[in-house]
Amino acid sequence: MSVTPEAPVSVPIADLENDDLLGAFPEGRRLVGTRCADCGQTMIGDRVVCSACVSRDVSRVPLPATGVLYSFTRLHLKGEAVRAVGYVDLDDNVRTLADLREDSIPLRPDVPVELGFDGDDWFFTPATGA
Amino acid sequence: MAEDAFVISASMIPFGKYRSSSYVGLAVSPLIDALQRAGVQKSDVDAVYVGHSYGGMMTGQRITKEIGLGTVPTVNVDNACSSGATAVHEAATAIAQGLIDVAVVIGVEKLTQFGGGTLPLSPEDREVRQGIVMPAVYAMRATRYLYENDATVEDLALVSVKARRHGALNPFAQFRKEVTVEEVLAARPVADPLTLLMCCPTGDGAAVVVLASERARNRLGAGKSARVAASVLHSGQVAEGYRDMTKPEITYQSVRDAYAEAGIEPWDLDMIEFHDAFSIAELVYYEAFGLTEKQSAVSLLRDGRTTFGGDVVVNPSGGLLAKGHPVGASGVAQVAEAFWQVTGQAGARQIPDARWAATHVTGGGTAGLDHGACTVHIFEAA
Repeated sequence: MSVTPEAPVSVPIADLENDDLLGAFPEGRRLVGTRCADCGQTMIGDRVVCSACVSRDVSRVPLPATGVLYSFTRLHLKGEAVRAVGYVDLDDNVRTLADLREDSIPLRPDVPVELGFDGDDWFFTPATGA
Repeated sequence: MAEDAFVISASMIPFGKYRSSSYVGLAVSPLIDALQRAGVQKSDVDAVYVGHSYGGMMTGQRITKEIGLGTVPTVNVDNACSSGATAVHEAATAIAQGLIDVAVVIGVEKLTQFGGGTLPLSPEDREVRQGIVMPAVYAMRATRYLYENDATVEDLALVSVKARRHGALNPFAQFRKEVTVEEVLAARPVADPLTLLMCCPTGDGAAVVVLASERARNRLGAGKSARVAASVLHSGQVAEGYRDMTKPEITYQSVRDAYAEAGIEPWDLDMIEFHDAFSIAELVYYEAFGLTEKQSAVSLLRDGRTTFGGDVVVNPSGGLLAKGHPVGASGVAQVAEAFWQVTGQAGARQIPDARWAATHVTGGGTAGLDHGACTVHIFEAA
């Protein structure tokens, strides 16, 4: 007679415990990503399961500090300062929403951008020489 | 579809700001009117489907109990802006499968409860915590679209001008005043390049349609109807990396499936109500609906091929930009417009001999997805 195994207990994921997108790594402060050991997909943030192959064999990795601006807008919300935000396609094909800053090089789609810091705040800005 | 489903009546209140009405207050009148116009008694109703996003627990039952419409299943549906259309899809599917004969679909939303500003999104979403709002999503789509295509901000304004011109003809529209390209461009900036007049307004609304099987339609002696030729619902698929925001895959999939189900080609359509929450969406969706094979999106618009007198009237109601966009109500209101057009009840905005009508509504701002949900329906005069 075969024995039916007891139903396994699923456990909740503590995804609110560490939802900071910025992390400390040996190479310095970087956006936090997650890489799947089984299929190699890289994803934004601290994740516990791969959205491509559903593997749980994933690890926390630093994301590249450089990428290309896909698109952007300047938001004019009532009672707030004008704020530039955009989607940055990082060099490992992870897209992240980001605050943007510009100095001499104007924001435009496809401009190379790099990660910058202002205290605990992070942003992307057109890369020097872009 | 296995069995045909038909829209046999539609009612709605004009979209607008009704601060002294609750969800119940918004929806009960069109509910009573839609039942009466269909010649449907409470005892004829097999199921009720209610689309809303912010109505709270038991919104549907709170509405139906006011007229003593109980006992039968009431299903509350949340798919953000696609909630109402998803409710229509559930009703049409249940009829097509032969499970029920008569369904009431209610779409209702009260956005004035939030006191203005952008649509509240789930704070559980990573990008929402980073400060994303819906105008920013569409503005980024617009920035990229203008970068890749031979289109200008004047074209974005022209979409709003057309929407307002259509809305001026529609007694159900929140905005009935026409605007000029200059006025649209000079309006307050919201999210560059989008100005306030390129964004759908905040408002309240309710729309109700009654769907019936062929059996029930004959038994009830319903008059002119709209046959549901296609009813399609897709969910978004996550992209962790690159996504082409100017070619929203969820709409392409839904439109492809809807044309296949209905057995028609894009230019067979007499009208389309689609999700013009922000003016850029109209240009993007011309292409998704297969209208740009021979002519670019902006030239379709500039040449007047998508307005009254053109080849396919896009958003004859004024669309979300002029008619308004109380999110859960919009999908049902689009179906009401399609029903009125193919049954000749659209008054000053009637498209002559309208036979084929499509409706399209997407829903949701969620990180990694183009949209959370997309619903496309195609109707034929019957």
